[in-house]
Amino acid sequence: MATSQHFQPPPVKTTPKEINEKIKFDRWWFLLMGVILLIIILITFKPDPFRRILFFVSDGISVTIFTTLVSFVLVLIFGLITGLARLSKITIIRGIATVYVEVIRGIPLLVQLMFWYFAFPSVIQSVGQALSIPSLIGYRANPIFMAILGLTFCYSAYMSEVYRAGIQSISRGQMEAARSLGMTFVQSMRYVILPQALRVILPPVGNEFITLLKDSSLVSVVAVADITRRGREFMAANFIPVNTWVMVALLYLVLTLFSARIVNWIEVKTRLER
Amino acid sequence: MAPIIQIQDVHKHFGHVKALRGVSLEIDKGEVVVIIGPSGSGKSTLLRCINRLEEFDQGQIIVDGIPLDSAENINSVRTEVGMVFQQFNLFPHLRVIDNLTLAQTVVRKRKKQDAINNALMLLEKVGIPEKAYNFPLQLSGGQQQRVAIARALAMNPKIMLFDEPTSALDPEMIQEVLDVMLNLAKEGMTMVVVSHEMGFARAAANRAILMDEGMIVEEATPAILFSNPTRERTKLFLSKIL
Repeated sequence: MATSQHFQPPPVKTTPKEINEKIKFDRWWFLLMGVILLIIILITFKPDPFRRILFFVSDGISVTIFTTLVSFVLVLIFGLITGLARLSKITIIRGIATVYVEVIRGIPLLVQLMFWYFAFPSVIQSVGQALSIPSLIGYRANPIFMAILGLTFCYSAYMSEVYRAGIQSISRGQMEAARSLGMTFVQSMRYVILPQALRVILPPVGNEFITLLKDSSLVSVVAVADITRRGREFMAANFIPVNTWVMVALLYLVLTLFSARIVNWIEVKTRLER
Repeated sequence: MAPIIQIQDVHKHFGHVKALRGVSLEIDKGEVVVIIGPSGSGKSTLLRCINRLEEFDQGQIIVDGIPLDSAENINSVRTEVGMVFQQFNLFPHLRVIDNLTLAQTVVRKRKKQDAINNALMLLEKVGIPEKAYNFPLQLSGGQQQRVAIARALAMNPKIMLFDEPTSALDPEMIQEVLDVMLNLAKEGMTMVVVSHEMGFARAAANRAILMDEGMIVEEATPAILFSNPTRERTKLFLSKIL
């Protein structure tokens, strides 16, 4: 019998293709650097009002990032569950998932957020009154919690379609090969289909993340003090709309450009070797 | 001893199209059976029914004493039956060695090192030990198909099914795959092969079967079926492919 020490993995070689990718990778970082540089120039040479705006708005940055990241992790999980449900052979499961996706995609996100923050608590209170449960009568919505709930509920519907497309893009032969080796459906998904599907859907998933990051600005209407809401507050107090919204836009641009670079980096890292 | 594969009056349709209309076949342990026939004759469908990649509507298939009825039975039959596909269906995201060890560790619950040793032994057997740490897409078609055979063998199956294993290959790569199959046949593996490789059939097969329109038209030893068939349908088909 052959022993394993004869066959060691060959050392990783850098091919010309990889070098090329690294160059491309670098070039787009400059755009991000440029935007950061612009912010630095603005706050250095025109500290009034730009430095004031930045300081005022800066505590919204962490709120925006927190809301986006937490929602996105939840979206990844519920999107996968919904996506698998959409592919289920069981009609009722597929039906529920399809109705959910179609309904959610048909309602503007802003309206959904309004529902979760303003209407949902009042529904809970009425239920509490009807059943005389004191804890429900006194229910108050937590803005961040409702914002995350709203974003997750909406984006999971979109994400499920991304997962579904990704899974369907893997040839049927892969599932058949896995099953013919005796693997169960779940094992085949876990070890064969999903690892390949995730590579396929990485660009659209990254795109969803960046869209979610931008759409998180809508939570400013439901009392979450994110970048956008802090910008509105500053403008209301100081009446310098142009400078305020230029600064807010630049901050979002830093976040989105940075995210796009990270997505691209993961994509290059996980590309299939050929 | 009972035949290792018993197919009894199996029917299968895709919508209105009847793919199989009452196929019965018994295959003994150690036998090599080659199935030929025009496309759409149901030969691949029959093969895929044996490990239930395709469900059938009527009839019964018993593999190694296990009837294909419950989900558990289907999984245990699949563990004992290796399958090789026309399009190889290697897992492109896994290195060759991981293609071979995945099912061993996940399904057979072997230790990682045992699985690796077994995989390397099999890669040696199919003649490409040096490709163990490459990815499938870095290999030629013939090499990929040999890896696919090794992957199926890694589960120590009692039966091997081949679904047109050389049809997607460049002509100069066909022989290397057939050689592996010939060796396997010599070792006494039970094999069901859907293929038009007459050379392989003559050299290795105990029986050749012609299927058409979802039925078995004629079965005989390869020598008789290919050179002296009794049915007109067989003569017509052979005249087209030879």
